[in-house]
Amino acid sequence: MNNVLDIVYWIPLLPLLGCIINGLGRKNLSKGAIGFIGSGVILASFVLSLWVFFQVRGGNVHTAEYFPFINVGNLKIPFAFQIDQLSAIWLLIITGIGFLIHVYSVSYMHEEKPVHFGRYFAYLNLFVFSMLLLVMGANFVIMFIGWEGVGLCSYLLIGFWFKKKEYSKAANKAFIMNRVGDLAFLIALFMLIHKLGTTTFSEIFTSASLAKLSGKEMTTITLLLFVGATGKSAQIPLYTWLPDAMAGPTPVSALIHAATMVTAGVYMIARANLMFAMAPATLNVIAIIGIATALLAATIALKQNDIKKVLAYSTVSQLGYMFLALGSGAYVAAVFHVMTHAFFKALLFLGSGSVIHAMGGEQDMRKMGGLSRYMKITNITFLLGCLAIAGIPGFSGFFSKDEILAGAFAKSPVLYALGLFGALLTAFYMFRLYVTTFKGTFRGTDEQKHHLHESPAAITIPLVILAVLSVIGGFVGVPEFIAHGAHALSGFLQPVFKEAYAVLPKHEVEHSTEWGLAGLSSVLVILTVIIAWARFSKKPDLQAATGFGKILENKWYIDELYQGVIVKPLNMLGSFLSNVVDKKVVDGLVNGVGRLVRYGGRQLRWLQSGQTGSYILMMVLGMVLIFIVQFFLRK
Amino acid sequence: MNAVLLSGLLGVVMMFASFLFRTKAPVRILAILGMAVLLVANVLDTKGIHFFHVNTTGFLSFTGYALFFNTIVIACTLIFFLISSKDMQKVGNHYAEYFALIFFILTGIFLVTAFTNLLILFIGIEIISIPLYILTGSAKKDLKSNEAALKYFLMGAFSTGVMLMGIALIYGATGTFDITKMNIAGLLKSNLLTAGMLMLLFSMCFKVSIAPFHFWTPDVYDGAPNVFTSFMATIVKVGIFVGFLHLFYTAFDAIALQWKIWMAVLAALTLLVGNITAVFQQSVKRMLAYSSISQAGFMLFALVAMNETAHEGLLLYAIAYCLATIGVFGIISKMTDYSFDGFNGLAGHQPLVALCVAIFMLSLAGIPLSAGFLAKFYMLKAVIQAGGYMWLVIFGVLMAAVSAYYYFRVIQAMYFKEGPNHFSGISAFEKCVLVGICVLIVFTGLFPNIIFGWMYF
Amino acid sequence: MNITQLLFWLLTVIAIGSALMIVTSKNPVYSVLGLIVTFFAISGHYILMNAQFLAIVNIIVYAGAIMVLFLFVIMLMNLSRATETLKNKWLQIVGAIAGSCLFLVLIAALKNTEIKKNLVEMGTGDIGLVKSLGRELFTTFVVPFEISSVLFLSAMIGAVVIGKKE
Repeated sequence: MNNVLDIVYWIPLLPLLGCIINGLGRKNLSKGAIGFIGSGVILASFVLSLWVFFQVRGGNVHTAEYFPFINVGNLKIPFAFQIDQLSAIWLLIITGIGFLIHVYSVSYMHEEKPVHFGRYFAYLNLFVFSMLLLVMGANFVIMFIGWEGVGLCSYLLIGFWFKKKEYSKAANKAFIMNRVGDLAFLIALFMLIHKLGTTTFSEIFTSASLAKLSGKEMTTITLLLFVGATGKSAQIPLYTWLPDAMAGPTPVSALIHAATMVTAGVYMIARANLMFAMAPATLNVIAIIGIATALLAATIALKQNDIKKVLAYSTVSQLGYMFLALGSGAYVAAVFHVMTHAFFKALLFLGSGSVIHAMGGEQDMRKMGGLSRYMKITNITFLLGCLAIAGIPGFSGFFSKDEILAGAFAKSPVLYALGLFGALLTAFYMFRLYVTTFKGTFRGTDEQKHHLHESPAAITIPLVILAVLSVIGGFVGVPEFIAHGAHALSGFLQPVFKEAYAVLPKHEVEHSTEWGLAGLSSVLVILTVIIAWARFSKKPDLQAATGFGKILENKWYIDELYQGVIVKPLNMLGSFLSNVVDKKVVDGLVNGVGRLVRYGGRQLRWLQSGQTGSYILMMVLGMVLIFIVQFFLRK
Repeated sequence: MNAVLLSGLLGVVMMFASFLFRTKAPVRILAILGMAVLLVANVLDTKGIHFFHVNTTGFLSFTGYALFFNTIVIACTLIFFLISSKDMQKVGNHYAEYFALIFFILTGIFLVTAFTNLLILFIGIEIISIPLYILTGSAKKDLKSNEAALKYFLMGAFSTGVMLMGIALIYGATGTFDITKMNIAGLLKSNLLTAGMLMLLFSMCFKVSIAPFHFWTPDVYDGAPNVFTSFMATIVKVGIFVGFLHLFYTAFDAIALQWKIWMAVLAALTLLVGNITAVFQQSVKRMLAYSSISQAGFMLFALVAMNETAHEGLLLYAIAYCLATIGVFGIISKMTDYSFDGFNGLAGHQPLVALCVAIFMLSLAGIPLSAGFLAKFYMLKAVIQAGGYMWLVIFGVLMAAVSAYYYFRVIQAMYFKEGPNHFSGISAFEKCVLVGICVLIVFTGLFPNIIFGWMYF
Repeated sequence: MNITQLLFWLLTVIAIGSALMIVTSKNPVYSVLGLIVTFFAISGHYILMNAQFLAIVNIIVYAGAIMVLFLFVIMLMNLSRATETLKNKWLQIVGAIAGSCLFLVLIAALKNTEIKKNLVEMGTGDIGLVKSLGRELFTTFVVPFEISSVLFLSAMIGAVVIGKKE
């Protein structure tokens, strides 16, 4: 029973403590102290996570139960953490990258007032706490707690600079879209309780337990879970919140909206891999939605001019790749891409933050250009990040993306072709971004030019570390066809996915074919990079978009579509209910209670006009209806 | 029995307190002390130490569940006194009398949770209702308050009539008022019984504001003085709910087929009406009135499920809902502007208060790690367990999601907007109480089993 | 049809007729008078059931005290038709229809119902007599009887709270 891993509760507890200290002491603590506490607790968690990781690698997989959380009849939901290969990897990503971003934030947020500075770190720590809860939970309920928690923190952090109105609107949008996803998650949760009577992963994801579900039920539950994942991981149709979420501070975008929270959906499906493997229909849906999201977001990214918006759509697109991998049954590839993506996308966001910082808050890359002369470290690290995401051979993105494409090819060559096209788009828009920002001549104001400088060490050191990881991170997953047994990640994760792989249909791809695919994609990507570089270094893409470009610039008008199709009718229904039904039908019968409430004294003479009468009338009508149905229609 | 007699006595004591004390502070302290004594007495009663030995001749039976629920009610009222009793001074001159009426209402609640005879149910409901009419209209110079009281009284009288008619029909069918001796298993086809049962159902639905019998609620909650709205929207409502559950669980279980579907339909209707209308309110107070309707819809899930989980869930719901709502109203009574805009920028002016409001709203919305989440979870679980109403569960989840929208509007106003300070100040002691409520909410959300453990040992 | 039955129907017709008068009459004084007649008719029913005590109490308390109070209030306030507010015709019609529906539905549902036993003991029995009523109230029904005092006490306090000048 006793296991050294029982102390893992400190991993989430430390950030929570940090949140409480910073939240309560934000008026009294100095900025230095707040930054030190905020980053220090995450560092401590990271050290613990490292230790956990080596424990797990040593074969110590453990579920630590702390206390019974909910006991209802036969349903027992303990407060328990599950430490296995999958959660260990996520722990490292969350705390490791989390720590770097905390350090970065100390410098980036330095101009905030101490109170807001403390608030910021409290939220950020709370986010890390929730995220850790999400990945460590040993059952769906604990996972859901974390799931809601990260949504809440993301909401608070997007709206952090609430003085601008559109920012709090963006926060609202993120929140509502996430709620739609959460709803599906909850319904799936209740269906699991209903059918299986448990929410604990180790009890659900066994062949014996899943055999109790019919194929239809399995498909329904997995589809609902997937809808939950689309909300959190910004997939079609619930992706539009993520680009708007860029309203938050840049480190937040890096941590929450690129590296960690948005991968929660991937984590959940990877966690439930056996169940998804047994629902082939759902897998097909996931693969199709994944590739569609990847392509849609990539095309939109081609024409965005806001540096963070490009990165945001790129994130949506990369998440699409992860779902493509999940849908193709290439679970390891998905986890692998989560990891490498966390490295290079965090790097790119932090790099863009460094640029925005130097530009005095300017985010429009049409007003940048030639920054490589002023910001050497940012320039180099950003370039490395771009090379990694584009998938240049040798960089981390190459390995993970290649593995996804190979998985897609095994499922269907069409998926592969579309995926490859998306990869080319990625290379194209990333280098459009890079060249427009860092090359050419500076196009901003003189004042901005005067202000340009390299960022301080607290910003550049995380950049360098992440750049190194982005370059070498891929070598944990060297494909089988290059070197036999070199895929360390696959070997590490093998216990988690082996049952699912046994269920999934096998599509072996010849090693020679794989060589061919990898070679083809490498050549095409390098060509694309060269084309993009040549094109934009000569003439930056400055003029207003026309024709098809205009549609892309306006994001395929999806936001407008949602506004027209969903939001407006809902608003109309709502105002109908509140204005017509509530006021006209009920109140209107007797000249308006609503008015009476509002005008109070002036209309007191209406007091006897009998509004009560209309209320009682409604009650009587209700009674008559129930009586009639009960006595004459039922039976 | 301790609590019933003692709260009646304390009501009488409070009645005379206005003669004894010239100033208001001692009255308040006396009331708070009285409530503490009541709490102790009831806990002792739970432990088998009875102060009074009364032969109730089969009219009352205090089960462990009822006694435990009464403890919750008293504790919540105590918290309500601690946070809101000062604000009651603003309502009018009859400070001591307000306390007396509240003590009488508690007597009524204790009766309603422990009755075994329809006669007691009726008296209990009336003891609750009549003081409420008066408290609603206690702000005599406020026309809205007067109007609300009159409306509440007229409609309340109507529902009382329906209830009496129902009781009479049931007596006609079974020949007894005693709910344990009705033997309705032999009367499955009796229309008389069905009609009587439905009439009782209607009148109870009226009291706990279930649609379509909820029309009085927004007007009355909006018109009544804040402090009393707080009391009647929380403690009184859950009190009557336990009586409602007790009545249908004990008396009409044998004909459950006849009424369960109505409970489910009414619960769904209530959730729909409450939530959708709450979304479009401009005043936080009125929003809370509609939200209390939608919360009642959730509590009605207990009557759909009718099992052990439902009983536990209702307790948990009582705790979660009462604590959060009392807290919010405690703060609203100190605001000069009840609209959503009034809350703008509260986080800047009063960070601690804003944080507490945020926690209350999160709990009401049912966000995990709060008591509100567990309460909703238990309710949904209870219905799943009972089986056959999966559509209601899904609908409930959907509506819970809708409710998050209007609760978060308050959080948004406090944290993401700026505005002048509409908060009139709060004492250090009241701040402590607020923090205490928050701690309780989170604690209940984390360790519900401790509460149930307490209930069953 | 014996004399008791004849009286029963007569009293019933009077009670219902005067009750209708209460709600339909435009003049509040007539309404109150109608209410008094209703109470008398109901007291008559009590007597038919050999419940003299209830009958007397009903007349003394309701018809005597409360109704006279009502009459005084109405006369002192001098409510004439001029101060009466306009009523919504449509609401009246809908209300009447809804009420009749409820009435019809209940009648239809209950017309064939069986009564558990002969609960009303016409002309016999001494349940309604003061002596047996008193004994019941202070033995079997002592708990509800005593508890009602709380109800009356709270009503009294209410009267003070509402009525006393600030």
